Amino acid sequence: MEIYHIQNVSFTFPMQEKKALEGINLTIQGGEFITIGGKSGSGKSTLLRQVKPILSPHGKREGTLTYRGRPIEDVDQRTQASDIGFVLQNPDNGIVTDKVWHELAFGLESLGLDQQTIRLRVAEMASFFGIQTWFHKSVTELSGGQKQLLNLASIMAMHPSVLLLDEPTSQLDPIAAADFIETLRKINQELGTTIILTEHRLEEVLPVSDRFIVMDEGRVIVDGTPREAGEALWCMGHPMFTAMPSSMQIYAGVTKDTPFPVTVKEGRQWLDRYLEDKSNVREEVTLNSQTLNNTNQLPALRFKDVWFKYEKNGVNIIKDLSFEVAEGQLYCLVGGNGTGKTTALSLAGGLYHPYRGKVLIGGKNILSMQAKELFTNNIAYLPQNPQHLFVKKTVEQDLYEILSRSSMSKEEKARKITAMAEFLELEPLFAMHPYDLSGGEQQRAALAKVLLLEPRILLLDEPTKGLDSFFKAKLASYLKQLNANGVTILMVSHDIEFCAKYGDVCALFFNGSITTSGAAKPFFAGNHFYTTAANRMVRHVWREGVTVEDVIALCKNTR
Amino acid sequence: MNSGFATFHPFVNLVYFIAVLLFGMWFMHPDFQAIALVSAIVYAIVLRGRAAVKFQLIYMLPLLLVMALINPAFNHAGVTILFYLKNGNPITLESIQYGLASACMFVTVIIWFSCYNAVMTSDKFIYLFGKIIPALSLIFSMVLRFVPRYQNQLKRISFAQRSIGQDMSQGNLLYRAKNGLTILSIMTTWALENAIETADSMKSRGYGLPGRTSYSLYRFDNRDKGCLIIMFILVAVVLSGQVKGENTMRFFPSIKVAEVTPFSILVYIAYSGLCMLPVIHYILEGIKWRSITSRM
Repeated sequence: MEIYHIQNVSFTFPMQEKKALEGINLTIQGGEFITIGGKSGSGKSTLLRQVKPILSPHGKREGTLTYRGRPIEDVDQRTQASDIGFVLQNPDNGIVTDKVWHELAFGLESLGLDQQTIRLRVAEMASFFGIQTWFHKSVTELSGGQKQLLNLASIMAMHPSVLLLDEPTSQLDPIAAADFIETLRKINQELGTTIILTEHRLEEVLPVSDRFIVMDEGRVIVDGTPREAGEALWCMGHPMFTAMPSSMQIYAGVTKDTPFPVTVKEGRQWLDRYLEDKSNVREEVTLNSQTLNNTNQLPALRFKDVWFKYEKNGVNIIKDLSFEVAEGQLYCLVGGNGTGKTTALSLAGGLYHPYRGKVLIGGKNILSMQAKELFTNNIAYLPQNPQHLFVKKTVEQDLYEILSRSSMSKEEKARKITAMAEFLELEPLFAMHPYDLSGGEQQRAALAKVLLLEPRILLLDEPTKGLDSFFKAKLASYLKQLNANGVTILMVSHDIEFCAKYGDVCALFFNGSITTSGAAKPFFAGNHFYTTAANRMVRHVWREGVTVEDVIALCKNTR
Repeated sequence: MNSGFATFHPFVNLVYFIAVLLFGMWFMHPDFQAIALVSAIVYAIVLRGRAAVKFQLIYMLPLLLVMALINPAFNHAGVTILFYLKNGNPITLESIQYGLASACMFVTVIIWFSCYNAVMTSDKFIYLFGKIIPALSLIFSMVLRFVPRYQNQLKRISFAQRSIGQDMSQGNLLYRAKNGLTILSIMTTWALENAIETADSMKSRGYGLPGRTSYSLYRFDNRDKGCLIIMFILVAVVLSGQVKGENTMRFFPSIKVAEVTPFSILVYIAYSGLCMLPVIHYILEGIKWRSITSRM
């Protein structure tokens, strides 16, 4: 059954010349699982909001859009609410009420169902999603993954036939994200609900998708099964290909004769076939375990037997943590949720103080430093949500704001800001409100702001959260330049791929302390599960193949 | 408190507390007061255990004594004069007794309220309110969602600002005040921006459609009905006692207590039954549980 028929649809925001969507033609059948990809600002979300008119932004739409054969304008509000579910990006913003059970019932109350029906539906949903154990909880007690699951469940309770999701996993950690995708798959398979979602992280979602649509500049450029789409992107040489699963990238980098692999498993099988007739699959010499302790100079940042807890009688969050970050390094702390990574970062920033042990900045105890000494030309901390730093109406004013208390002359300030804007490519955004920027642009503006304090040590909390692959590559290039200028960077991240590719040193955080650490590549080569998809695909042949580029090179060396 | 009397329907809980609070304030007859005070204390201990004992010994006992002493010092009515103060004012037996009685009433009511707090959680309160004004219960629920969320957000923003050296805890007074305002301004922008998305979420789930219903977890089942009927019978007996004058007491000018008659004993029993209802329920459940587990 045809759910949506989109014919030559274009959309223009008010007061803008450029079309946000242009000539979109799509037919969506019932029960399909569709993933929409593309850079930030390519029109993914705009398209998604067009098919649920109550959420469509103001603007002018052309072309015809039908829902189950009826023009979408004629679909009344009640049908829209119950039939077309929409999950927002930020799990916190989607939740309206204070209790889990009330949230589940919210939509049903709006539809005016009676007690008995609501009771049944709520019970069904709680069982289907495994919510029973936290059914009576208050929503503030939930983790991010649970919140997003609650958003999904409260929509599913209304029995929609289409589910629209706008980057639903971008704010979740990888494990919660994988769980969420798995739940979507279950909904699609077991209930036959049509699913349309936009996503940046394709590694998990592509294997479960029936169709992958790629958008660029408001147009649909590729539309097909994940395999076909990957192939098409590769043939076009489109930069979006770098966002595809590692197995696909490796495959495309080496040969091209069978259908593109999508999962790690398929990649592994292909690799085995590929290597079958090759004689000299040699084990690469172990990557020289890079001389890390080459410096006898003082480390830029040093934790010495640090213990920390939030309350006197509370549990220890950080337990006997010791590590050193050398000057000019990009040091990545990876690890699961709730292991204390972010707390360690706050300790490094002097926001908390350990009750035992020391945190030394350039050899000086952080406790003995004044705020002024600590935060001028010394340490800067970029919070997870860049919005927490923005104060003014435009990006430019915001940058001036942070220099407002320094004694520099006007010209000097202007010169500095221009230089910074040039470095981070911010000039085109100067006149915009910080909240109107995309996630990646906000990140950049916030980075510019803290960098104007000219820190020697930069602390980053999940800087790649919610960024698309292009912005990640850009961010990495900025960080590398900063490293080259002698800035030390300590970063907390869930993004294994990013850390493996760009980090100098990686450390696995577990149970309040660092379990292992080492130069990025040997570090990941030594892990079995907590490693990159590329490594998982090839580690039975080459343990050291960590990044996609490594593996492609290794494959090409084999004859 | 997720056991015993608190598991009854909120309406049953509410009726019970209204009854004992009103009766506790109304009846000054010493026997009735004793019944109410003892019941309140016992129930508070059942509900809150050791904390209740501590609360009663540390706060309620001194309060009772002080109030009992203050009344005769200012109230000199009554016919039985015990002695004269230095300034010539008489201390009367009636005023001492009245002081004791009113102190007792005051303490009883406070302890009843402490029980009320433990039993009537915000959920139940919202539910009962929602029955009267449905829109209000959603607003309550949303407020309870947003207050902790905003508090948490404020903390994060203040953290982010501190990490660039611009927090309320840094610099001189003027600087701090300025930073405080900055934090508030960020908070406002953030709240407005994110509220738009929450509004989207509400809209997309059909908020604003006519004929909204209100769902609750509470069910009024047979157990609640039974309990309510028992309570009504007991209340009726107590009220009939009041009508017949069995519960009254006169302090001034001279003390006159209603006499103990067979009917008044019935009223006493009914009043004890009413006040002790949660405790009796608690004990009966305990016995039943024991006998069941012993047979398993």
